[in-house]
Amino acid sequence: MLAEIGVFTTAFALLTALYAIGAALWGERRARAGGREAGREAGREAFTVSARNAVILTFLLLLTGSGSLMVALYTEEYQIAYVWSVTNPQMPMFYRLTALWGSQAGSLLFWTLLMSAFSAAAVTLNWRSQRRLMPYAIVYMMAAVAFFVALVLFVENPFDRWWILEGAPVDSAVVKAALIPAGAVAPSAARLAETANGLNPMLRHFGMAIHPPMLYLGFVGFVIPFAFAMSALASGDLSSNWIKASRRWALIAWLFLSLGLILGGRWAYDVLGWGGYWGWDPVENAAFLPWLVGTALLHSIMIQEKRGMLKTWNMFLVIFTFSAVIFGTFATRSGLVDSVHSFARSEIGFPMFGFWFLLTLSAVALILWRRSRGELRDERHFGGILSRESLFVLNNFVFVALTIAVFWGSFGAPIVSELVMNTNITLGAEYFKSVTPPLFILMYILMGVAPLSAWGVASMPRLGRALLLPALLTLATLALFVAGGTTHLGALFGYGIVLLAGWVALIETVRGMLARQKAHREPVYVSLLSLFARNPRRYGGYLIHLGITVIGIGVIGSTLFQQETQQTLSVGESLNIGGYSLRFDELMAGQISDDGRLMDIALVTVLRDGAEIAHLRPRRDFFPQTEGMNTMTIAGAHSTLENDFYVLLVEWEPINQNSATFKVYINPLINLVWWGSILLIFGTLAAGWKHEVLPARMRQEMRAEEGAAVPTGRLARKGAQ
Amino acid sequence: MTDIAWEKPRQPAAPSRKINAERLKLYAGLALIAAVLVFVIVNGTVNNARYFISISALLEDPTFVGKTVRVSGAVVGSSIAYDAENLIIDFTVADFDESTTDLVSALHEAVVNPNTARIQVHVENMVKPDLLIDEAQAIMTGTLDADGTFYATEVLLKCPSRYEEAVPEQAVVSDEFSAAHP
Repeated sequence: MLAEIGVFTTAFALLTALYAIGAALWGERRARAGGREAGREAGREAFTVSARNAVILTFLLLLTGSGSLMVALYTEEYQIAYVWSVTNPQMPMFYRLTALWGSQAGSLLFWTLLMSAFSAAAVTLNWRSQRRLMPYAIVYMMAAVAFFVALVLFVENPFDRWWILEGAPVDSAVVKAALIPAGAVAPSAARLAETANGLNPMLRHFGMAIHPPMLYLGFVGFVIPFAFAMSALASGDLSSNWIKASRRWALIAWLFLSLGLILGGRWAYDVLGWGGYWGWDPVENAAFLPWLVGTALLHSIMIQEKRGMLKTWNMFLVIFTFSAVIFGTFATRSGLVDSVHSFARSEIGFPMFGFWFLLTLSAVALILWRRSRGELRDERHFGGILSRESLFVLNNFVFVALTIAVFWGSFGAPIVSELVMNTNITLGAEYFKSVTPPLFILMYILMGVAPLSAWGVASMPRLGRALLLPALLTLATLALFVAGGTTHLGALFGYGIVLLAGWVALIETVRGMLARQKAHREPVYVSLLSLFARNPRRYGGYLIHLGITVIGIGVIGSTLFQQETQQTLSVGESLNIGGYSLRFDELMAGQISDDGRLMDIALVTVLRDGAEIAHLRPRRDFFPQTEGMNTMTIAGAHSTLENDFYVLLVEWEPINQNSATFKVYINPLINLVWWGSILLIFGTLAAGWKHEVLPARMRQEMRAEEGAAVPTGRLARKGAQ
Repeated sequence: MTDIAWEKPRQPAAPSRKINAERLKLYAGLALIAAVLVFVIVNGTVNNARYFISISALLEDPTFVGKTVRVSGAVVGSSIAYDAENLIIDFTVADFDESTTDLVSALHEAVVNPNTARIQVHVENMVKPDLLIDEAQAIMTGTLDADGTFYATEVLLKCPSRYEEAVPEQAVVSDEFSAAHP
């Protein structure tokens, strides 16, 4: 029953998505053919409204479909092949539900659902403000949704069930199909339950439960800016309307993408037991690429809004952000690259590559066509090299350069060598460690200088004066680092460049706050809050810069100064590393957990200067029911702002349990990576906060009428009507 | 301290020689970034390129001896020897048909057939990965020594899980994430 609901709602969703495309195109066409007659205008309305309703219906249908799969996972319908392959009766309820995105077919459905949710939200929320862009925006959103629904239905169907063909030879008797094949019977649910696979143990972690949804939200969210940009190109409304419509969606997508990347890093650090959080693996890079292009986009659209420049460039950025999303999805899900977390080879490779290629090609062609007609001409010329728009252009180039470097290392070199030289060349993590630092250094330098420069005009002395205080504070902070024992020149150079960017962000915020405080005579926290409320984009941006600074310091510290050691200890013995010692107290082997895993836990004590500072429990988990990959090494960590003391239980004597081998890492400043990430998230939330700036004329009128403070946001809109 | 005009741009003057000079500076900046990019990419590629070849190709071509390459093979479970105290792992991998769509069977065939090309792998300073088990696929970066041992510096493991007898062979390659130690 649940499988039928799933198949039919998904099939209907494909139809409604296609209908939405048709209705939106037809409405737009009629409007163009002759919008003057009242009847036709109404007809156009009717079709466009109908297209909008179809977008919402598509979402509701996919929601029902995904809901039925979730119910199937919850009620253990093992006759559904997907349920059988990702759950088993021993799994706790929480992970049974998150198994919806535990494997290819289910996660593809979930991904499609999220994309249609974004589309439904965009047509609802932007319906009034972006009426002109709506028809074509619906066309592009729904084209993407329809493609993914088709993949779910025809290639990776999560509702396929097991069937037994009676009378067929044993090795071909069991088939997988969505609808019952002729002469087939359903296998016994109880027998299937006995053999069900269960979710890969590594994925049974809270981080893994929320990391994929965040990442997917980040990926699919970029469909909205893409659709508005394409709509602008297709309809010829090339004002900055599409940017107004897209900016907040891009920011939301960027927020989720950042969260997804951070949670993925945290999961790797907690579960994979190698003492690191980022391995420059192709799949990690596939998620990092849209983040890089998206970051460039969020910066450069400011130039178009404020100065009417970079119109073509912004179009390219928005399209390549989404193109990077689709490419990353293709690379991850098709088995194109060998990676720690790629899906196995799948049939979806070819259609996805085709979709990506067509999408990118047609979008670029559309940009070039509009450009050739002179419709993307910039309204201003560039001022001086030190003007803010020039520095933003340089910043954009740095992000694009990073994108190219990361793309080449992860995908470009292997693909080109395969095609051109007929060999397969891969570049390891060392490539990224040598290629990205110079570009990151440039990024941080620009991050420090650009916020201090002015639009349009450029003056070296003025910029120099503005940089004086941040530079002095940076030197003072560096002196603290030196006093703390850092003598590595490269590290100090890196810290200095990163700190400058952070000090600039901090000083600008404090300066704004003090100015308000002086003018309004209010408490400090009130000025700070109203500063963010009045200009959330600027101060949210500074908070993000501060977060990136804190992350940068954490990355430099934990990369350059990581210490590691390993040693076999008898009970009561200690090992020493970096001023700490680790004492092995006891081994508790064979502890049984609720979900059936066996845990071997070592009890260890961390001491510093003879004083006990922490008791840790590094452990090894063993999943007896799971075949193949069935052990997991869970680190014990003592975290402080200064460092992480990170212990792995490597091996132990199973018989007398008297000795065990430990691997210990000291990761300096690593927690700054997580703290900086939290700042970054808050900054992004602030920058995306609802804040509508009314046109100056309307504000003046209102001020004249009411003689009171000018409300912003929803209230203001109501008042204006 | 400073009095920067934040959001109040001056109307730009008509394009003049001065503007052109400034624009040249901007182009110079962009060219500088492009130059840095090209340099680091070429440099990084030349220094870090690893040929991804099969075990049989590695053994047949003596020019690969001593060069850093990447090979993929099926782990022979009975050969795994782990010295936990010194973190040294030794194991054998067998050549398998990588073009297959049935990875599980290909890995199994390679391990049970004694005539497949094999190499000894030696890894130092590595905690034994949880995924290093019989018939796993190992993707290794390292160098083949003249004595025939492959000294690996990086081992990536993938484990397609096998479906049990009750539902035979129809979807042998699991599409779960194969999470592993990088």
